[in-house]
Amino acid sequence: MAVREILYYPDARLKTACAPIAKLDEETGVLIQDLLDTMIDSGHSVGVAAPQIGVSRRAVVVDVSGSKLGRDNNHGQLVMINPEILEQSGQKIMREGCMSVPDYTGNVARAEEILVQFLDRCGDRRVIRATGFEAVAIQHELDHLDGLLFLDRISSLKTNLFRRKKR
Amino acid sequence: MSHFALTVIGRDHPGIVAQVTETLYRLGCNIADSSCTILGGQFAMILIISHPQYDSLESFGEAFDSLEESGLSVFVRVLQPGGEASPQLHGEFCLISVYGSDKPGIVYPVVKELGDRQINITDLNTKLVGPPERPVYVMMIEAILPPNISLEQLTEVMAELKAKLQVDISVRDITPVEL
Repeated sequence: MAVREILYYPDARLKTACAPIAKLDEETGVLIQDLLDTMIDSGHSVGVAAPQIGVSRRAVVVDVSGSKLGRDNNHGQLVMINPEILEQSGQKIMREGCMSVPDYTGNVARAEEILVQFLDRCGDRRVIRATGFEAVAIQHELDHLDGLLFLDRISSLKTNLFRRKKR
Repeated sequence: MSHFALTVIGRDHPGIVAQVTETLYRLGCNIADSSCTILGGQFAMILIISHPQYDSLESFGEAFDSLEESGLSVFVRVLQPGGEASPQLHGEFCLISVYGSDKPGIVYPVVKELGDRQINITDLNTKLVGPPERPVYVMMIEAILPPNISLEQLTEVMAELKAKLQVDISVRDITPVEL
């Protein structure tokens, strides 16, 4: 299969909402393998979404098991087709970056825990509860399917420690 | 193309950014990096700007006079070639929180330890908070650790300072996650 080039913003495909995958045919199989190959090849990457390699379909791969932050709490390599977040709770702020937006990072607040439903590589429906870094990574990749970048989610400039919460 | 550092500061009120950037827009200046914030009652702007033709302070002529007349202080500095390019910063990013009852001599002892170890500060802000009778000083530092210093080592150094200065200090990793 193939390691594909990661698209950079302002490529319009990164700002396009993706269509669901209707059936798991050979084309889908190729897409999934390309996503995995691209994620693994990029070494540091913990996830890739289909639009990042130029395919406007709802599929992502995530694997935080090799990263310091996700090592102890993960579901291993996840292939997620037509994923959907069913429930979310809590809040976790992380400084995020993205392969498609080089040289920029920002603090993003996301749910700390999510219940997410998807089809796996074999077409079986799965529902998992992800927490911590894995949950953040999944939410980041799922945003790509709706044409959202982390830039759309930045919650504070630098530290927001001096800002008081609205009561 | 020559680049310039422009700083503008003045009593805060709505419209300062519009006023300054209108001037720059009319001159044909580009704004590259910028950072603007409220400090005390002042609004402070720092911008890296460029202009296709300008190469010295004289090029700006009297362009900023109207800003000065409206109560803003404007300062322009010519950058040496290459001075506009961001350095490639590598290493672990950490955030150091320092806070405690306000007293003289909090900032320097902390940042001296960092400077002595070649720990590069990328962002620093301080703020005086709390009621006037019990003021609390808060300092937040973002810094990059050189390869020979671990977060644990820095934490140890800061723990010693914490005892010496009688302030609270915590250190944590904020290395961005690339997703």
